[in-house]
Amino acid sequence: MSLLEVRALSAGYGPVEVLHGIDLDVDHGEMVVILGANGAGKTTTMRAVSGMIGRSGSVTFDGVDITRTNAEKLVGMGIAHVPQGRGTFPDLTVMDNLRVGAYARSGGIAADIDRWFAVFPRLAERRDQRAGSLSGGEQQMLAIARALMSHPKLLLCDEPSLGLAPLITQEVFEVLKKLNADEGLSVLLVEQNANLALKVAQRVYLLETGTVVASGSAAQIASDDAIRKAYLGA
Amino acid sequence: MLRIDEGSTRHWLLRLLGFAVITFIVVWVPTQMSSSRIGQFTDAFILMIAAMSLNLVLGFTGQISIGHSAFFGIGGYTAAILIKDHGWSPGYTFYAAAVVAFVVGCVVALPALRIRGIYLALVTLAVAVLFPTLVRWKKLAWLTDGSKGMDSVRYEDVPVWPILGELKGREGRAVFMFWLGLIVVVATYLVCRGIVKSRFGRALVAIRDNETAAAVMGVNLTTTKVLVFGVSAALCALGGVLSTLKSGVITPDGQYVTLLGSIVFLLVMIVGGAGTLWGPIIGGLVYVWLDNTTRDIGTSDSGILGALFGWADQSPATLILGLVLVVIMFAAPYGLVGLAKRLGRKVVVIVPRPVGSSTPR
Amino acid sequence: MERFFQYLFDGLSLGSIYALLALGLVVVFRGTGHLNFAQGEMAMICTFVVWQFNDWGVPLVLSIILGMIVGFALGAGVEATIIRGVAKKSQAGVFVVSIALFLGLNSLAAMIWGSLPPEQLPGLFPDEPDDFQRIFGAVWRYEYIGVLAVALVLMGLLFLLFAKTKFGLAMRAVASNPESARLAGIPTGIVLASSWGIAGAMGALSGTLWGGIVGELNAGLMFTVFIYASAAATLGGFDSPGGAVIAGLTIGVGEQFLAGYFPGWIGQEMKLSAALLTIFVVLLVKPSGLFGSTKVERV
Repeated sequence: MSLLEVRALSAGYGPVEVLHGIDLDVDHGEMVVILGANGAGKTTTMRAVSGMIGRSGSVTFDGVDITRTNAEKLVGMGIAHVPQGRGTFPDLTVMDNLRVGAYARSGGIAADIDRWFAVFPRLAERRDQRAGSLSGGEQQMLAIARALMSHPKLLLCDEPSLGLAPLITQEVFEVLKKLNADEGLSVLLVEQNANLALKVAQRVYLLETGTVVASGSAAQIASDDAIRKAYLGA
Repeated sequence: MLRIDEGSTRHWLLRLLGFAVITFIVVWVPTQMSSSRIGQFTDAFILMIAAMSLNLVLGFTGQISIGHSAFFGIGGYTAAILIKDHGWSPGYTFYAAAVVAFVVGCVVALPALRIRGIYLALVTLAVAVLFPTLVRWKKLAWLTDGSKGMDSVRYEDVPVWPILGELKGREGRAVFMFWLGLIVVVATYLVCRGIVKSRFGRALVAIRDNETAAAVMGVNLTTTKVLVFGVSAALCALGGVLSTLKSGVITPDGQYVTLLGSIVFLLVMIVGGAGTLWGPIIGGLVYVWLDNTTRDIGTSDSGILGALFGWADQSPATLILGLVLVVIMFAAPYGLVGLAKRLGRKVVVIVPRPVGSSTPR
Repeated sequence: MERFFQYLFDGLSLGSIYALLALGLVVVFRGTGHLNFAQGEMAMICTFVVWQFNDWGVPLVLSIILGMIVGFALGAGVEATIIRGVAKKSQAGVFVVSIALFLGLNSLAAMIWGSLPPEQLPGLFPDEPDDFQRIFGAVWRYEYIGVLAVALVLMGLLFLLFAKTKFGLAMRAVASNPESARLAGIPTGIVLASSWGIAGAMGALSGTLWGGIVGELNAGLMFTVFIYASAAATLGGFDSPGGAVIAGLTIGVGEQFLAGYFPGWIGQEMKLSAALLTIFVVLLVKPSGLFGSTKVERV
């Protein structure tokens, strides 16, 4: 059984439905990417999975039905969500950001902080700075480190490349890939930069106006001519 | 559900029906009701004027003001001073009060160019607190008569208006004030409507929705914000004049002159529906009705409420008013007009005329 | 010099009461982004509760603690039931509801305690005519010293709560980014209700201290204090607890100086107005208060 099983998920904002019943799986230790144009419903999918917005259908995580579970509870169950663009607490220091990340659990927090400081040395240098004063790349890394502080089994990562310079984006993706390969962390990634995403992910879902129009392994998708034309610009 | 095209014959009939209902009420109230009831309608008119003026600033431009009681007071005091000390005829004081309040309003608006949100709310709150203290201030007592306030500011002789017949004594005065109030309400409504439907009004809404974007689109923030605040202050002052003429008295801690006045104006506006032209009018009627009804309940010792609140040392009127306000906000978060629109849409839909066509289809 | 110190001492003591209530306003504003107009009335009604307990024979200190618990429950309850429900639908609605609370609580206090003879709240500290200390020639009454001390201690505890505890961390996180706070597993509902509760408890204490100085309790007890507190929160910056405290003390001292040194023009009756005007000028230079953060608006 998959780690995350999404069946017939519909969600939206108020009277407007954005997702019209999508199916999606993330296996243990798998890195899955959702591709799609602006407004396809990628962020909505993430928000629906983590319970930030009302949803219908079913979401099962690690064998437990979480369709009715509050967003606040999911962290404790092992889902960490890095929201788009602003995953940090700008008024808190880097240290405090990481402490907030560990809010749902206790014990070994100091050791964990040291561990992520080793992975992201630049955060260690800025440990007492306000997160809002960090650069975009540093904030994104902080947001990821903050999410990892909760010891997740599944990391939801919403467009980590947004507003970052190409080199920094590479760096962020490298970290994600390494976490996935070395630690067996499952990742569900939303990305606009298809070329980059296809390199790191194992499987791909293609989203168009709230429905899944194609899915398959990264290699399959990358070799599909029609998809290449539409999404990869080649 | 009924669908009606904008500008069609049925739409005009619907409008005519609304107009007829209002006309009926307006004629029926002053001719058939007791003078105390008529007075309550005049009170509602006064609140409508103040709330409409506030609506221009808050509902349409998005600048919060908790200072409108000061403009109301400026209106009232201008009238009182001109009539008592300078022998003006009351009718002309409306114009003078509007001018004075316009100038003060523009001055108060200047900080609003820099100060926003909750800070602006507190600055305007300071204006509301300052006004009564200034009026009471001993250094200004030569002008305002200090804390005791000014009295017997009335129309000495109610002018004889042919259609209204002879208006004499207390009752005649009540009817006269009703008509005078109605004229000012209509005038204020027309001014607000004119502004809101104009290019200037669209600039206001643009400022409310996104100031930076509005500026980029070529809206002159400084002039627009200052002018609208000035106009709003001037309109509010008309309400103040009316109130002084109605009661004949104005004191620094009088009704609507203190901070509480500002708060009541805000309540009336929001309960009616902020950012709608009819909101303040409905809000004024509902508020005065609620205020009087709860006060009546408070004085009666019988019935359920008597049993519930019989133990109380003082009337539960304000408590009930507060509870009702909470209920209204739960049921109609965008005000009563917002609620009515939502419910009304289930019965009748006015299909707007397509953009660019001017003739009714 | 004697006058200078006299105004300074009086100002600090009164200012510490403004600061307490202002801190409550700031805690609420940081949490939920609302100005709680009923803050003063919540404090007033809790002060009556303290008096009532004391009148029933509960020792004063215990009564105050009970009053603060009632204040916490009142604040948290109001947020969780009324405010949150309305805030989901409309922000203007929250304003109306807090005004409705203001009116309702005021009326309720008058209904319950209105026609008793003016209530005497016993001072927490010795308050005989000769209970004072002379410092630099100025009289500093024990009562005033006590008020300042209690207020400062409570504020100190509060800052410890903010800075050092897990709950304080959660409060700061919710204030900074509520969405990510939820995603990090912080129960934002409980945190927000608690911010209102803390504000309510601080209000109860500020009301009791103020009531002790005034001596008589009535439904209008906290109205002026609320204005001063709002002014302090504005001057300090609505999202800065430290700013609220500094501004509260500054306003307290400032108004004593203004009233004391210009008795003819300002005096007791115009000191509030003078203080407000000064703040007005400060805001023109610093539109988000002295310590508040400016938010950049993007299109």
